[in-house]
Amino acid sequence: MKTQKKALAFAAALVISLANIAALAQQTLDRTAVPPPGPTPVLHVPTWTKTQLANGATLIVSERHGLPLVSFTITFLGGSNQFEPAAKRGVASMTASMLSEGTTTKTGDQLSDALQLLGSGINSGVGGEDGSLGFVSTTKNFEATLAILADEMLNSTFPADALDRLRGRTLVGLTQAKDQPVVVGAQVFAKILYGNAHPYGQRVTETSVKSITRDDVVAFAKAYYQPGRAIITVVGDTTPLKARAAVEKGLAAWAKAGDKPSFDYPKLPELQPAKIYLVDKPGAAQSVFNIGLPGPPRNTPDYFALQVLNTILGGQFQSRLNANIREQKGYSYGVNSNFGYGKGPGAFRAGGSIFSAKTDAALIEFMKELKGIVGEKPVTDEELKGAKESLIQGLPQRFASVSAISNAITSLVVQGLPDDYFQQYEKNVSAVTKEDVLRVAKHYIDLDHLAIVIVGDRSAVEASLKATNIAPITYIDIEGNPAGN
Amino acid sequence: MNNKRRVLSALFLLLAISLSQPLLGQRKSPASDSIKIPFETYKLSNGLTVILSEDHTTPTVAVDIWYHVGSKNEMPGRTGFAHLFEHVMFTGSGHVPYGMHDKLTEGVGGGNNGSTTNDRTNYYETIPSNYLESALWLESDRMGFLLDKLDIAKLNAQRDVVKNERRQSYDNQPYGRVSEIFSAAMYPKDHPYSWPVIGSMTDLTAASEEDVKAFFRVYYAPNNATLAVVGDFDPKQAKAWIQKYFTDLPQGKMVERPKVPLGKLDASKRLVYEDRVQVPRLYMQYPTVGFKNDDDYALSVMSSILSGSRTARLTKALVYDTQMASQIGAFQNSSEDVGVFQVVVIPRPEHSLTELEGAVDQVIQKFISEGPTAEELQKAKSGLELGFIRGLESNLGKANQLINGAIFYGNPGYFSTDYQKTLAVTAADVKRVASQYLSRSRIVLSVVPKGKKDQASKATESETVSMVVGKGGR
Repeated sequence: MKTQKKALAFAAALVISLANIAALAQQTLDRTAVPPPGPTPVLHVPTWTKTQLANGATLIVSERHGLPLVSFTITFLGGSNQFEPAAKRGVASMTASMLSEGTTTKTGDQLSDALQLLGSGINSGVGGEDGSLGFVSTTKNFEATLAILADEMLNSTFPADALDRLRGRTLVGLTQAKDQPVVVGAQVFAKILYGNAHPYGQRVTETSVKSITRDDVVAFAKAYYQPGRAIITVVGDTTPLKARAAVEKGLAAWAKAGDKPSFDYPKLPELQPAKIYLVDKPGAAQSVFNIGLPGPPRNTPDYFALQVLNTILGGQFQSRLNANIREQKGYSYGVNSNFGYGKGPGAFRAGGSIFSAKTDAALIEFMKELKGIVGEKPVTDEELKGAKESLIQGLPQRFASVSAISNAITSLVVQGLPDDYFQQYEKNVSAVTKEDVLRVAKHYIDLDHLAIVIVGDRSAVEASLKATNIAPITYIDIEGNPAGN
Repeated sequence: MNNKRRVLSALFLLLAISLSQPLLGQRKSPASDSIKIPFETYKLSNGLTVILSEDHTTPTVAVDIWYHVGSKNEMPGRTGFAHLFEHVMFTGSGHVPYGMHDKLTEGVGGGNNGSTTNDRTNYYETIPSNYLESALWLESDRMGFLLDKLDIAKLNAQRDVVKNERRQSYDNQPYGRVSEIFSAAMYPKDHPYSWPVIGSMTDLTAASEEDVKAFFRVYYAPNNATLAVVGDFDPKQAKAWIQKYFTDLPQGKMVERPKVPLGKLDASKRLVYEDRVQVPRLYMQYPTVGFKNDDDYALSVMSSILSGSRTARLTKALVYDTQMASQIGAFQNSSEDVGVFQVVVIPRPEHSLTELEGAVDQVIQKFISEGPTAEELQKAKSGLELGFIRGLESNLGKANQLINGAIFYGNPGYFSTDYQKTLAVTAADVKRVASQYLSRSRIVLSVVPKGKKDQASKATESETVSMVVGKGGR
């Protein structure tokens, strides 16, 4: 390549000319001096247009022209928690997978071949509180890929034999999940915090998957994929005008229907006094920890204080939990904490995988750090400053690709946040004080009602866990049901 | 780490993707103009290769250093050192106190990490662009002055972390021992690819402070490293800083690159391993070639014709038509010197591993005799362009591509050659590699639930593998 040879020649000259300067510099270079940062770069938040389509869908378009890429996503407000009957857990995800199994004019194989030739693929899924259909394509293949997405969303035939195949594969996946201590830990933790009656405590089971019929799938698709609750986000090498024309053409057959769901959840079960829930995994090399309790929804006014709190406690490598349990003690490959913000009471959770022989010692350290953050070891000025700086300066990373920008903008609408959220972000984070952090820590990390879920080798960890005297032990199975003593 | 290694083979497939030629039937495409990474490169007098590539899309920069050292440079009995350094390198150096590295990266909204393969180790920082100078300071200090502050206490602490990583990623992971079993079975004892990247518990425990330091002195010198800076920076300023912090680091000895023989099986092996799982799995591995051999391109194309989409040969036959399998995958997994083609099958409950092996063989035999269709070939290549352009969205992704070319091919711009070579793969190439490599002796491994050796494929002919769980523990 020509440019490269030129660059090499240039570089050779540069090396020679810089040699003298460098020799001078070396004599005075003080390597102990931490180089100061340059001036903080100006934050460029992407701009976007937001319009309404005739069928009721919201259309968001954000331009980014550096590369010939377009990200297209239809996001549906509400997910399995709003649209799935408790006995039919799994129907949402199965319907999302069934969209690609064939339409009135194409077989599943034909749809797949067409997408492969376009070099793209359609992602389809439904989560707890929202669902989506989308893809990233080259600019030139955008409309052709959109046409396939529209065909799958509007004309799927949901063949019964495909449902049976999908069911069989899902059942194998559920069996395999039982062997994954990390998956078991997360499921049992949710069940203990929320119980069977709350959607946050429910999950897809063998029984629910076996009960799903083709009629269930057809009914779910009809009720769910409606423009009245849809946000269409187009980001990349396009313009609002072009994108709107393409969307109106591609989704012309999508008739007005549906509205935004409500996110009312049943009351939480009464909080239990702190307890260790031990799930036996004979022979396990590690114990998987999940410690926590139900927390606040995303729209809590305490959000920014909680973000600062979590950054200090367990959101980063040098956060208190990981610095202690991994780096100083060497009990783990990594521990962390987080808040599961959503429309409902998402969990506060701290945890990680711990070397089996250090299960008791690690639990003592987890409790020490939790007690510390709620008052015994108050947040320092340096911690506060560092956490805020990290949050504020990390913002540009959220706009690093077309799909990242799409997620960032769409999340504002999904969570009901203001359009100037990113512009106000620095101000909101900066306003958090040490008193705020202590107040939210005390309020949300309720040490008297923690559920401590440990999946590990009972025979190896039980006695030493008891000896810590941190909380009584209850034995449960991998489904979260009492296991007997 | 093995899973990082897997991430990398996906990356190499991506790499096998790059430049400039329009795809078949899309000659009018304006996209191909965008498939390029502008860069400049030069060498410092101590042998450090430098690559710079500007991209001002977001106010961030990636600083990425690869050392051309991996687990294959270790000695039997002293395995796991390259990966151990991946950890030690983040614990401070001569002028950088412990914790400063994280403070100047994730503490300012950025990130840092490293990864180790059989062939190379990388270290990177992704940072707001105003923290470029401090990132270069951090990297230069651990290149030049790591050992000044490395003592046995620090070494022991990171050794414990690595043992925990091993427990988490291998020992406490269903099917987590498979890659180790294959490495040991595919290569003779003492072959540089015969041990796992993470090393053995015994070796990690046995390593002395002096063993570890001696390893560093040989492999972590500027002449064995390549530095890339990619993102939002002023090249004049960046060059001055690189000069300031790196130029006085002493050049190391010439690194010897041992000639590593390809994997070769005199006869097929049939193994069974009992694991704490409920669903059995069937794995097959054929010795192939490393990524510097041109057959790697055709083998990679072949892998996407055999699995990955619902109309791929193995997927269609086993998951969709006969529905004997829940999932199936086929991959060309290549390193600098060696490679393997691997097939993994997860059965549906009513079907035995013996049945599945027969079904896989039938599909492969048919493929060997007829080769791919023109459409299959085109489908396999069609995703390459999009994958490549998406890779250009990330500073770190670009840095890795440029350094990969520099280290293994002596040319940061090698990705374009790679892309063209993949596009140039013909049906005849694929048919030839199918017949050449998939007709060879192979290893068939059944992973079965404890006490269920009878579930192995051709159980009576299978030899039991027993893996010693590390005793570095209690």
